[in-house]
Amino acid sequence: MKFELRGITKRFPGVVANDGVNLHVSTGEVLALIGENGAGKSTLMNVLYGLYRADEGELLIDGKPSHFSSPADAIAAGIGMVHQHFMLVPVMTVAENVVLGVEPTGRFGSLDIDEARRMVREVSDKYSLELDPDAVIEDLSVGVRQRVEIVKVLMRDAKIVVFDEPTAVLTPSEILEFFEIVRSLVAAGRGVIFITHKLKEALSVADRINVLRRGKVVGEALPKNTSESQIAEMMVGRAVQLVVDKTEAVPRESMLDVRNVTVVEPDGRVVVDDVTFEVRVGEIVGVAGVQGNGQTELVEAIAGLRRAASGSIVLGGRDITTDSPRERHEAGMAHIPEDRQRQGLVTDLSIVENLVLTRYHDSEFSSGIRMKWDVAKTRAKELVAAYDIRTTDPAQPASTLSGGNQQKVIVARELSREIRLAVAAQPTRGIDVGSIEYVHAQIVKERDAGRAVLVVSTELDEVMSLADRVLVMYRGRIVADVDPKKVSHMDIGLYMAGSRPSGAVA
Amino acid sequence: MNDTLKSLRFTLLAVVAALFVSAFIIVITDIEALGNGDFGKALSTLGTAYWGLFKGSFGSLRAISNTITGATPLLLAGLAVSSAFKAGLFNIGATGQMLAGAITGLWVGFAFQLPPLLHVPLALVASAVGGAAFGAIPGILKARTGAHEVITTIMLNGIASFTVLWLLKTELFKREGRDDAISKFVEDSAKLPKLFWFMGKRIDLLAHTGFVVALLATFVFWWLLRKTTLGFEMQATGLNQEAARYAGMRTKSLMVVSMAIAGSFAGLAGGTEVMGLYGYASATVAGDIGFDAIAVALLGRSTPIGTLVSALLFGALQAGGRQMQVDTDVPIDLIIVLRALIVMFIAAPLLVKAMFRVKGEVKSFGQTFRGWGG
Amino acid sequence: MLARINKRVRHPSYEREKHTMRKQRGLKSAALAIAAFALIASACGSDDAAEEVTEDTEAATEETTAPLPGAGVLACMVTDTGGVDDKGFNQISYAGMQKAEAELGVTIDLLESASDADYAPNLQSFADKGCNITVTVGFLLGDATKAAAEANTGLNYAIVDYAYDPPVANARGLVFATDQPSFMAGYLSAAMSKSGIVGTYGGVNIPPVTAFMEGFRKGVEYYNAQKGASVKLLGWDGTDGTFAGNFESLDDGKNIAKSQADEGADIIFPVAGPVGLGSAQFALESAGKVKIIGVDVDMSVSNPDAAEVYIASVLKNIDAAVFAAISDVVSGSGVTDNYVGTLANGGVGVAFTAVPADLQAEVEAIGAGIADGSIKL
Repeated sequence: MKFELRGITKRFPGVVANDGVNLHVSTGEVLALIGENGAGKSTLMNVLYGLYRADEGELLIDGKPSHFSSPADAIAAGIGMVHQHFMLVPVMTVAENVVLGVEPTGRFGSLDIDEARRMVREVSDKYSLELDPDAVIEDLSVGVRQRVEIVKVLMRDAKIVVFDEPTAVLTPSEILEFFEIVRSLVAAGRGVIFITHKLKEALSVADRINVLRRGKVVGEALPKNTSESQIAEMMVGRAVQLVVDKTEAVPRESMLDVRNVTVVEPDGRVVVDDVTFEVRVGEIVGVAGVQGNGQTELVEAIAGLRRAASGSIVLGGRDITTDSPRERHEAGMAHIPEDRQRQGLVTDLSIVENLVLTRYHDSEFSSGIRMKWDVAKTRAKELVAAYDIRTTDPAQPASTLSGGNQQKVIVARELSREIRLAVAAQPTRGIDVGSIEYVHAQIVKERDAGRAVLVVSTELDEVMSLADRVLVMYRGRIVADVDPKKVSHMDIGLYMAGSRPSGAVA
Repeated sequence: MNDTLKSLRFTLLAVVAALFVSAFIIVITDIEALGNGDFGKALSTLGTAYWGLFKGSFGSLRAISNTITGATPLLLAGLAVSSAFKAGLFNIGATGQMLAGAITGLWVGFAFQLPPLLHVPLALVASAVGGAAFGAIPGILKARTGAHEVITTIMLNGIASFTVLWLLKTELFKREGRDDAISKFVEDSAKLPKLFWFMGKRIDLLAHTGFVVALLATFVFWWLLRKTTLGFEMQATGLNQEAARYAGMRTKSLMVVSMAIAGSFAGLAGGTEVMGLYGYASATVAGDIGFDAIAVALLGRSTPIGTLVSALLFGALQAGGRQMQVDTDVPIDLIIVLRALIVMFIAAPLLVKAMFRVKGEVKSFGQTFRGWGG
Repeated sequence: MLARINKRVRHPSYEREKHTMRKQRGLKSAALAIAAFALIASACGSDDAAEEVTEDTEAATEETTAPLPGAGVLACMVTDTGGVDDKGFNQISYAGMQKAEAELGVTIDLLESASDADYAPNLQSFADKGCNITVTVGFLLGDATKAAAEANTGLNYAIVDYAYDPPVANARGLVFATDQPSFMAGYLSAAMSKSGIVGTYGGVNIPPVTAFMEGFRKGVEYYNAQKGASVKLLGWDGTDGTFAGNFESLDDGKNIAKSQADEGADIIFPVAGPVGLGSAQFALESAGKVKIIGVDVDMSVSNPDAAEVYIASVLKNIDAAVFAAISDVVSGSGVTDNYVGTLANGGVGVAFTAVPADLQAEVEAIGAGIADGSIKL
């Protein structure tokens, strides 16, 4: 089967989301659709899945014009979609979820759950998905849940499977497993459309890459004769610096001193286990590790969002172990949180308001109970210009910004004042290449301006290229403290997995 | 078209749609006329009913006075719901907070002998404080134990109404010579002046200066939201508690403060009813106002101006409904149906969209209900 | 669909079903809500729905006969928040209005109140209309009625379940010595109880309710004193007792009756409006083990589904008092004094449903004794 989009144009008030897009995919191949956030990828997928109706253009299946007015039509035509956000009922089993909506029925219309189990097992075996039909969804990891979604699509007999940013929620090892699944799908004669903004992933799994920018397909590339920077250039429209440009660090006195910090969950689990390290003025310390090894909790303990069960945290000679987040903030700590939508921003509030979210109580922005919104507005205009936040009006809600620009709002707010320590958790998660470059440059600038910087990231590449010193966390402990220039990716990967490279000393 | 105008137009359409459906109801329940096959009469009943609705709400000074009288407690109680909504809390407890404010205001109103210039403000402050104290309880319970405010405020309504029933029968509050649950009168010096005092002694003009209090409270709510750090913290907490905590806001204290502020608005609603309309308190002084206030806040999208407009609308329906009952056979219950229909059409934007073929996106009201998340 | 609903709603809710301009009101209120749903469900209604209704409607107009004394007199009523179809004092008061319309020829009008805030405006509307007498229902209207009476000295007012002290020249309070018939019922229950235990409970602990309970208690005591018996009373000890806390919950009525029955009571006197219907339901399910004394009206008539559980009812003849007030206005004698309904003037009484003739005679004799003052409560 060959599925083709021809001249698809979709307009929203004031925006052309898709502008004459042509693309095609056949069974037996993987097409990667790559583009920055806001390039029109999601709109395009909604068009081909029947959720939106294109203003112009046509859909062809094996050369015949077709028309989808709902996802049901798309499913009937053999298109399946695995959404970024899973649509599973957490309290039901895998088998129950998979047959939801297409329940096999026995006599008298009763649900034939054995049949459902059998079907799940069959599909699971065929593609080595290793799914237990009786497992309850809420007990499963994100990666396994994604496989349940894949089974759902396969059971509806999809010839072409569309994955919308499938790796955003996966750990590095799950990503590798996911690629295996994609390959086995293709081997079994299905076609895959893989939507992503990550260059490496597109290059490693796709047969062809289509690059989308501002609603248009600006180029097609074959992975074997294309480089990352070429694709990045197509995505952004200019040459992009993929490697962090920085000079040798000149570390001075210690700024952040974390001593024997332990964090315990309410259920008694020790998530940060006796962690000790320091961050000095003029250096960037990176914390690497697979998601879920205590990095989140460590950052929260440093930022004051979580109380350390024992140990001490000292900032510039002042013990802040029991200080509130506000006191730490006032002591000169900037915190770029891990989850910008949930923690870093109040997306329904305006950009102006978000730019003072952690600073509204400073005498600059308020006196007593009175907010100085005039000052905040003026300041917001300056920051929007200085940090290149792409918006028409800072009075707009932050939700109108793209992910990268939302992150710039946080960076602007946290770094635009006199600080001593910057703590950045996952500073570039889910943002586009152009913004990543910008955020990295800002972090290096902070270091060079004489601040201590702590960067926590699950992107190993990011930590390796940004940090002057790398700590690896595994099961709540720091298992390595290395110079990124002197160790290989492979060795760090081994530390992250809890083992020790040969020849290394404890 | 900007957002405010859009939502105003949408609200208006919902009202029109509700009037439209109510019209059908009036006609098809005019059983007597339809029994005779007299469609003309059924339609004329409808005309009389809606004319009465208008006449009774805006058609004369008395009508306007009645509209204002009805709107006053709805506005103050509506602010109690709106302000809590803004902080992410679902305040079902306006009834209990009204009763608390009614009782404290009442007590100051009869227990002291003071010049009016002192007595009125003091009694108003007392009702605000009473409401605030009672409102703070669910805030404290939530901050300390995580108990959901929807549950606790509903329970506290019950506690308030029975406490008031008991208090009204104690020697302190009981009116001499009455053995039912009705209180003493407040001193004349604690009575809110009539709004239309300059019209001479017209006892039919019931509107009182509690309406001015309500307008001031609306302004205070606006000022709080737009101009103060506290209002900023409330909104941030309401929209994203996690982010507020990250930003160093003390979200637990904010819960208590927000509920106390909400309670003070509701307390004023109770106090102004006692000091302005009745002159005394009974166990039913809060009536259904605390619940109607939820609809008022919803209709007004929890904004100060929206709450004001929808309280006036509901006040007008209440006053107009009475006149409708006088002029026709249509029972006053229709007003309850009409109000419910308005709220329903507001809550179901797609229905109105379809009915009027409105183009473009209609914002849903999901945000208003975020308080449920806990 | 609507036609079917109408049949269901069309329960004869008033005892005296006279055709009047207001007759359909109770039906209409209920139909409103249902119609609202029906309309939405069918996405804005259809014409045949309206036509179906017509099949089910009787179209009777009564010819006015000879001129009656009340012709030209306008009698009006303002309900409290219970509304006219409350199966309680509003409805009974309205029955008195309807009786006056039928027998005196007065024109009647009605306004219902949805909240306390409606009282004053409703009274104002009737003052504007020039109602010769306005009947208000319930103590909550006490202050508003007094204010209206003082502002409109040319008009007459009467208020149910409330008395003015000092009296107001043109407003009559209508109150009832309910302890008197309750005393009779207490005696009767004590005499008829096989287990030697009887029960009572109230809606809310307020004097209009406890007056019944106290009368009942004294009646039981009187029986014990007279007969040397020791019949026990549950639910009221003279100062405190069992209360449902409301006048609405049938479940509460069922539960209280059950717990009193569990303690051995075989006759129960609920003073709690519709809550008592729940107790009747329980009695019905007990298959004759538990019997009920009705309150306010003859419940063996007003609650036909459970008629067999009632042995008697304590009557509070509000309708008669309302009728009398209107009649006094028609005759020109005015409504100056408060009215107290007693056994002597027939304002209260007992309706016997299933009482042995000799016991009925005995209880009636006690009633006569109370009426002539020979038995003091």
